[in-house]
Amino acid sequence: MAKADPKQYVGLAARSKEGPRLVTGQGRYTDDFTEPGMLQAVFLRSPHAHARILGVDAQAALSRSDVFAVVTPEDIKRDTKPFRPGRYAAGLKKPIAEYAGAVDKVRYVGEPVGAVAARDRSTAEDVLESIAVDYEILPANTDVHKAIAGEDASVIYDELGANLAWQGTLEYGDTEKAFREADRVVRENLKIHRYSSTPLEPLACIASYDRFSRKLTVRTNTQVPENIYDALRDALQIDDIRVIIPDIGGGFGQKIHLIRKYVVIVALLAVKSGRPVKWIEDRNEHMMAAGHACEQHFDVEAAVKNDGTVTGLRFKEIDDVGGSISTLTIHFTNKLNNLSNTYKVQNIRADGYSVVTNRCPVIPNRGIGKPGMCYIWERIIDRVAQDLDMDPSEVRFKNLVQPEQMPYTTPNGNIYDSGDYPGLLKRALEKVDYPALKEEQARERGKGRYLGIGVVIGVEPGGRNAARDMAIFPEMKETPGSGGINGATIKLEKNGTIALYLGSPNCGQAHETTTAQVAAGILGVSPDVISTTTPFDSDVAPWGVAAANSGNNFHLYDIGSIIGAATQLREKVLKVAGHILDAEPSDLEIADGVVTVPGFPRRRLTFAELGKAAYNNQSLLPEGIDAGLQTTFYYTFPHAQPNMVPGQDRRVRAQFTFGAGAHVAIVEVDPRTGKVDVLRYLIVGDNGTIINPGVVDGQIYGSAAHGIAVALGEGFVYDDEGQLLTITLTDYGKCSTAETPNVEVEHAPSPSAFTPLGQKAAGEGAAIPSPAAIASAVENALEPFGVKVRHLPLTPERVWQLIQEAQA
Amino acid sequence: MKQTVRVTVNGRLYEEEVEPRQLLSYFLRETIGLTGTHIGCIIGECGACTVQVNGTLVKSCLMFAVQANGKEITTIEGLAEGDALHPVQEAFINNYGFQCGYCTPGMIMAADSLLKKNPNPSEEEIREGLAGNLCMCTGYVQIVAAVKEAAGQVDNG
Amino acid sequence: MIPGAFDYHAPASLEEALSLLSANVDDAKVLAGGQSLLPLMKLRLAKPEVIIDIGGLAELNYIREEGDHIAIGALATYTDVAESDLIQNRCPLLAQTAVVVGDVQVRNRGTVGGGLAHADPAEDLPAAILALDAELKAAGPDGERWIPASEFFVTMLTTSLLPEELLTEIRVPARDGYKTSYQKVSRQAAGFAIVGVAACLKESADGVCEDISVAVTGMTDVAFRAEKVEAALRGEKLDDSAIASAAALVTDGVDPIEDVNATPAYRAHLAQVYVERTIQAARAG
Repeated sequence: MAKADPKQYVGLAARSKEGPRLVTGQGRYTDDFTEPGMLQAVFLRSPHAHARILGVDAQAALSRSDVFAVVTPEDIKRDTKPFRPGRYAAGLKKPIAEYAGAVDKVRYVGEPVGAVAARDRSTAEDVLESIAVDYEILPANTDVHKAIAGEDASVIYDELGANLAWQGTLEYGDTEKAFREADRVVRENLKIHRYSSTPLEPLACIASYDRFSRKLTVRTNTQVPENIYDALRDALQIDDIRVIIPDIGGGFGQKIHLIRKYVVIVALLAVKSGRPVKWIEDRNEHMMAAGHACEQHFDVEAAVKNDGTVTGLRFKEIDDVGGSISTLTIHFTNKLNNLSNTYKVQNIRADGYSVVTNRCPVIPNRGIGKPGMCYIWERIIDRVAQDLDMDPSEVRFKNLVQPEQMPYTTPNGNIYDSGDYPGLLKRALEKVDYPALKEEQARERGKGRYLGIGVVIGVEPGGRNAARDMAIFPEMKETPGSGGINGATIKLEKNGTIALYLGSPNCGQAHETTTAQVAAGILGVSPDVISTTTPFDSDVAPWGVAAANSGNNFHLYDIGSIIGAATQLREKVLKVAGHILDAEPSDLEIADGVVTVPGFPRRRLTFAELGKAAYNNQSLLPEGIDAGLQTTFYYTFPHAQPNMVPGQDRRVRAQFTFGAGAHVAIVEVDPRTGKVDVLRYLIVGDNGTIINPGVVDGQIYGSAAHGIAVALGEGFVYDDEGQLLTITLTDYGKCSTAETPNVEVEHAPSPSAFTPLGQKAAGEGAAIPSPAAIASAVENALEPFGVKVRHLPLTPERVWQLIQEAQA
Repeated sequence: MKQTVRVTVNGRLYEEEVEPRQLLSYFLRETIGLTGTHIGCIIGECGACTVQVNGTLVKSCLMFAVQANGKEITTIEGLAEGDALHPVQEAFINNYGFQCGYCTPGMIMAADSLLKKNPNPSEEEIREGLAGNLCMCTGYVQIVAAVKEAAGQVDNG
Repeated sequence: MIPGAFDYHAPASLEEALSLLSANVDDAKVLAGGQSLLPLMKLRLAKPEVIIDIGGLAELNYIREEGDHIAIGALATYTDVAESDLIQNRCPLLAQTAVVVGDVQVRNRGTVGGGLAHADPAEDLPAAILALDAELKAAGPDGERWIPASEFFVTMLTTSLLPEELLTEIRVPARDGYKTSYQKVSRQAAGFAIVGVAACLKESADGVCEDISVAVTGMTDVAFRAEKVEAALRGEKLDDSAIASAAALVTDGVDPIEDVNATPAYRAHLAQVYVERTIQAARAG
């Protein structure tokens, strides 16, 4: 019999299913929807980095007939409850109430202070100018080192008494011994700046409230329905909540966390006005207040043997977490995901310090913290190589986990499912012809041309585990969720077509195309007859804790649940067909949507015929079987144990699959202006079994381009008063086609031992090693000047200064 | 005081009363309901709202609707002919030249305009020609590939 | 980001535009291509009560040869200038500059007159028209007058146009036999100039500089002529070291601005490098 073959269409560049609608302007994003009687909201925001709110006068606004509702700090305090502290705030010594809007103080420029709902957006903006806020301006805190030194300009949270809000240590193995017995210790101070992925579609929400049935419906572009669902329940004390997520114009983490503040306030406007209310964020609001990746400072030291073996790593991390306590440890705790990167070192200690500042709160962004961890490793390995006068790749080879060690358990409890790290690195060096490249570099230096080669490697973890944070907060009484759970529904319709319903939203990762490719092989149909229903709708979607367009979850939970649901549907199809065709289900074959009894060409049933039987003809159904041809399957990661929940040893599987990539950056630096040109960027990547190469390549290109741009200057800049100087995409340094280098990708997959297709994640991966690759290449180019690259970003001016400083 | 705007969009004439301060992008999206023109920054940096006015590529957030009075506009919805996709649209699909799709309409309008002027652009010319349209997802590799594929297929007559 | 409300006028003639402007001189803004004005209005940094849209005035939209000058109507777009055969042949510096202003969309809508009257200190074109000794025609209720480029830019966002005047034409002397180049540093191809340098020079067969003009934009509140650089090179043999040492004079007595794109020290350094590179690029053709 023809078995279900989940891999039949896997690996093919199947035609994009979302393509036709997206290229014709038929994508449906939140702002494309209107509701009857819909109002438009705008937010009142703080112009100050730090101030006490003494009073808000909204009388003029409230007295207008075209204004339907106004929310002020008083309303927030009276009509909403604070959010429950999440897993990133679990380390607070004292609970701090964080509301959707500012209530007593503003703590960053752009913090929402209130909102107006009016007949149209123009009116709302006009009215906003009439609201007067009386502020007592307080000194701004923008320097984490001052906080660490106990020199706060002012205290941001009175409850904390100081701006150093959290401090904690993770230790695995015996670092003291490793450093005591080391031949040498290599030290470095590193820094990654604030940046974001600036999705092109800003935050958006439409809220409607039926006050007679007490049902709240929000249509919004969140990446994680759970965050919105929980936030609305906690803040507004409403239980019946429907979250609809249409097409999302890019996420990257930006639409996970702070969006809940706005959804709550827009929902409150809907409750107050009795009308549906739409809110669309402006770009400058996004830059100021939608969240940034954290500025991270690292003091790193490696215990090294003279042969290049790294036996221990210690680092102190200071995170500038901005004016919120709700993501206090997010960048630190995410380092558990790639704490040992691709290396076999057994002794690692991390000391984390989280400092609240008067800057935008920090949020997830393409890998959260993981680019920082990779930066720590790859910079210090380069430094070790320089210290020992070895080639940097040689030091890497010396320390890489070997393919025969797979599956490999890292000191902090991650289990690397598969991978050939030396193979990736070797292939990358081969592809660029490393020896010839070194020769060219030497030759060109003689002519005053400064070429640099950066070679790095990094893991790409996939599939988040919400219990991870207990590793840094053993005092947490219950897990905030653990492992991952998410579902999918598949339905064979009466016309023989297949409808999929996913448990999670998508932000442009081609979920429709890839899930159809996987389901088609199992069901014995062409992907052409499968369609995935959008938008996500919490009322009907089979969603769980992993229903998140984040954490590189899709390949695991969505694909896993599609396989489960399709397998169950196939079984049911065979049972029903067997009954109708009077054959054993196990004797039947399915191909092209037709069930046949082999050897009996006339004993056949099309999926359309089956569908009509299953929904219309009870008499055709076997006894004891539910009517209909619809299955729902919730996937949980089958190999989650051990270490799904951290024990006393704090070992935890922070994520579940581990892809990897070796990156080579070849740059040319103009020493007179400091400008860096990326001449070539190559990735040899292991993303496990690839479902659709066109889709996976796109994910890699995009995340690499972002990591490269971040390293070379994209980022947020504040002045000492906490004013954001980069509120436009241009000032922020966003790159167009003209500034973005071409990226080459070669696949060298090691299928995962744990997942049904051998699939691993592909999404944020290339954003993790790419900043380190650029740093390494620029340093290598400027070796003749004695330049050391420690801090990002490497803007032309910064590179020029590095040269000046090195020569001085 | 509202003004009357008579404008032809994708071959259909519209006559609408608008506030002078209404941007062309909002006119297209909200007044006449063509939501394929997206808004990503509203100050002319991102190119998501790019359309063609009298055959010329413009950002519709940098024009008031009243400035389009008497003009002919093509938006992403007007590019395909009947059920047949435009060659640039087809090439974007073939090359996965989009991810979230938010920049895509503006990008395709820009690519079409570029190829009408320069039917066989070099990679550098493509990259310069699309420099007014930002994409946050793709790293542009497959977008450039799509434009290369569509080159020579766009009717520049 | 919606602009404040305003009354909109689209005059049918320059005369009508001027009388509307005179009648609303305190409340009006003139709209040409709108590529600079609209962002300001959306941020509500500009809140004009009256908009006078001159964009439809065909009488201000031309590029034509007038003897040894080229006359450019204020409403010619950057694309018009960049693609004009006449300008490419007889005054290539203008085309070289116009083609790197903003991006395609901005060049298609943005007008030369609008951009110059806006007087953004990081705008590209001021460097070119200064280097070319252009003249700008202002039309007002009392008739027309010519303003030399060197007197046109007063300070950031301020020109010597009177409130009731409109910029109607830019007149540029043809530069036959000159070598020219415009080079700029910007973070993005479509970005404003951190430093932009226009150079226009005439060289004898044996490499002696017979005439040179160099102008710099992006560096201070207002674009300026690098007169010390010019003086150091005029009549001298143009070799690498002469150019490099002359270029260093660009920062003499100049206080570069500071913004998120560059510190004054780096801007000054870039100006020196780019003056040198622009002169070299002009010579290389």
